[in-house]
Parts: sequence; C-alpha cells; structure tokens
Amino acid sequence: MASVEVNQDELMRLLRSVARKDRQAFQQLYSQVAARMFGLCVKLANHRELAEEAMQESFIQIWHHAGEYHRDRGAPLAWMMTIARYRTLDLMRARKVRQTAGDEHLEQVEDRRAGPLDDSLRTSGSAQLTGCLEELSDVQRDSILLAYYRGFTHDELSETLNSPVGTVKSWIRRGLMALKRCLER
Amino acid sequence: MRKSPERVEILAAEYVLGSLKGPARLRFEGWMMESGRVRQEVWFWEQQLGALSTATPQETPPPRVWSDIQRRLWPEQATTTAASSAKAGWFWPGWGLVATAAAVLFAVLLLQQPSPGVERPLLAGAIIKADMGDPLWLLSETGGGNLLKLRSVAAGTAESGKDYELWVVPEDGEPLSLGVLPAGDTHEVALSDEAQSSLTRSRTLAISLEPEGGSPTGSPTGPILHVTRLYEL
Repeated sequence: MASVEVNQDELMRLLRSVARKDRQAFQQLYSQVAARMFGLCVKLANHRELAEEAMQESFIQIWHHAGEYHRDRGAPLAWMMTIARYRTLDLMRARKVRQTAGDEHLEQVEDRRAGPLDDSLRTSGSAQLTGCLEELSDVQRDSILLAYYRGFTHDELSETLNSPVGTVKSWIRRGLMALKRCLER
Repeated sequence: MRKSPERVEILAAEYVLGSLKGPARLRFEGWMMESGRVRQEVWFWEQQLGALSTATPQETPPPRVWSDIQRRLWPEQATTTAASSAKAGWFWPGWGLVATAAAVLFAVLLLQQPSPGVERPLLAGAIIKADMGDPLWLLSETGGGNLLKLRSVAAGTAESGKDYELWVVPEDGEPLSLGVLPAGDTHEVALSDEAQSSLTRSRTLAISLEPEGGSPTGSPTGPILHVTRLYEL
C-alpha cells in the first residue's frame, strides 16, 4: 500500500488553523491523517463500523480540542493517533461492558507548558522501542502488544494466555517497567 | 490512594496501554487533572508507545466517515443526508474473533515488516485452540519472518508412538512439513525460503497427528487436528 508520508510541520500548521476554527484546514488535516488513523482503528477494533465511529469521535474531538495540543504531547500525528486509540478503546469497552461507558476525555486536562522536543528523538524512539521490546520476555511482550494493538483486557489476556489474571497483570507491569528502564538508558 | 512515584509510573503506563479501566481509569484521570507530574508520565508513554501506532498499515476510510463528521459538527450545512446505516443492524460480536467449525488456530506473531527507513514491530496473532477450549500453543514469528516460535500453553504430549507435526498449507499444492513438535515449553522452527513464501501467501498452518518422528511420506498421513489462517492483529 502506498504510504502517505506525513509532514509534521505541515500538521502543526494545520492544527493551529483548526484551533482557530478553520474548516478548510480541518478538511486538509483529515485528508492527511485519515488513512493512517483508520488503519489503526480497524486493527484495534477488528470491526469496521466501530472503527468508523471511532474516527468520527476522534475528529470531532480534534476539532474541539486542537488548541490544547502542545509539544509535550508528542508530535502532532502521535497526538492525534493517541486520541484515536483512546476513542476506539472507549467504544470497544462501551459495546462490551456497558458500565464502563463514560471515560472522561483526556483533553480536559490543560497544561500550557511548551517543551519543544526534537522530532528526531521521537523517530529514533521507535527503533529504540523495537529494541527494548525485544529485551522483554515472550509473555511480557505478547501481553503488552496484545493490549496495545488489540485492546485486550486483563481478563481477555488471562483467557488467551491461559494464565491467572494476577499473573497476566504482573507480566504487564513488570514488562512495562522493564521497557521504561530500557527506554531511559 | 497515595500518588507515590512508583504507583504513578505504573498506572500511567497502564493508562496509555489501555489495561487500566473502569473506576481505576477514572480515578487516574482525576490525578492527571491535579498533577503536572502525572501528566508528564502519561505523555512519556503516549510518545513512546505512539511509535507502534504509526506502524499499522494505512487504510482509506469510506467517504461517509467525513460526511458524517461534517454533519455532526455543522448540521446546518449538511447537504448530504448520510444514511444512518452505521447504526442499522449494529452487531458487536464481543471478542469472539474467530470461531471455525472444528478448531481454532490463533497465533501470536511479532513480525518485523520492512517499512520505509525503520523496522517496526507489527503484531499479528493468535492461539492454537481445540474447539473453544483452552489454548494449546502460542505462535510468534521473529527474525524477519523466517523463524516461527511455538510456545506450548496447555498442549499435552501426543499419545505414545505418535508425534504432532506442523505444516504450512500453501494456496495450492501439497502441505510443507515444518517438522514435528517436540514436547517442552518452546520450540523454534526456521522457515525455508519456500515455506516462508508459501506461508506469506496462504497464512495457513495445520497440525496433524503422525507416527513417531513424523510423516514417513512427506505429506500428512494422520488426522489433521488443527487448521487455521494466521490472524494479523
């Protein structure tokens, strides 16, 4: 599949315009990130209708909260992908477990600090992340990636990996902490 | 609950991963609103794990997604009455991802897929199950896709005088043997170029019950216990 390369500076410019309620910029932003975001939502939800709904929710949120984006949140694309991931997880959980409806929106959190972070750091971060994932034990890595890409809950992981929930939780926690120590090296 | 640095660290990671849910998730969001330190910790993980998001294949959404967004944001401007098809016949199958007749094979794959510039992990995956019972094996694929790793979860050893044998089922032609599965926790199979290219196309594996040491003919001779397509996550 042809990969649309993303220009983060361009996305930054568009986000600023969207924050000023520029509808044309919003449409451009959509056309630049929609395929990437939809790919993530479909993969996570494994359900196209839910993925479409998550896309709608995400872009509506981006429209309303573009002004709250700042560099500490990561590169513009990563920020939008994070929103898409949270909204997809929300919908997945809401459909399956009704009482978990109503997660608060992350974007209610405000912080005005500007902390420019070189994009190259983030780019190299992905190769570093791959390396650090390789250092985890198989069960730790599988648990983390299944939770990340498929939104598996502890219970689902417990069933999938045929292990008690407590064990699965401990794999995830230890795995995440080992990952962090590695990423900080 | 006290916000000790250790607790913030782990909860932030679980928040971003999504494994923190329900009341614990809501409580943590309260912490995020109160504390810059907690937010910084969340952003750390959003940035780090965000690298995984960009590794997923792109897929163009249908045009109705954009028209629905416009309709919801600016109803006064809506020129297209987007069909409310999205709501009709809603069906959410839970996480019952695959349910084939006799057996379910679901493999956990960690693929190193070449993408421009950087090699990134891409998860595909699953479990080998008998009916809807407990998983028997987990599979992962590493080493650039030419190494399969099977981890026994609940698979027993084959009956006396028999072995389990693993096969790639190509799109057409005879199955290719990947050898017998020895008893034990983990087993690695190096894929030949032929097996790898077959598997890449068909994404299908099978396990049969064979005489000890494997099929004497090079083709499955015993009952096929499990067949499935690998499932890309």
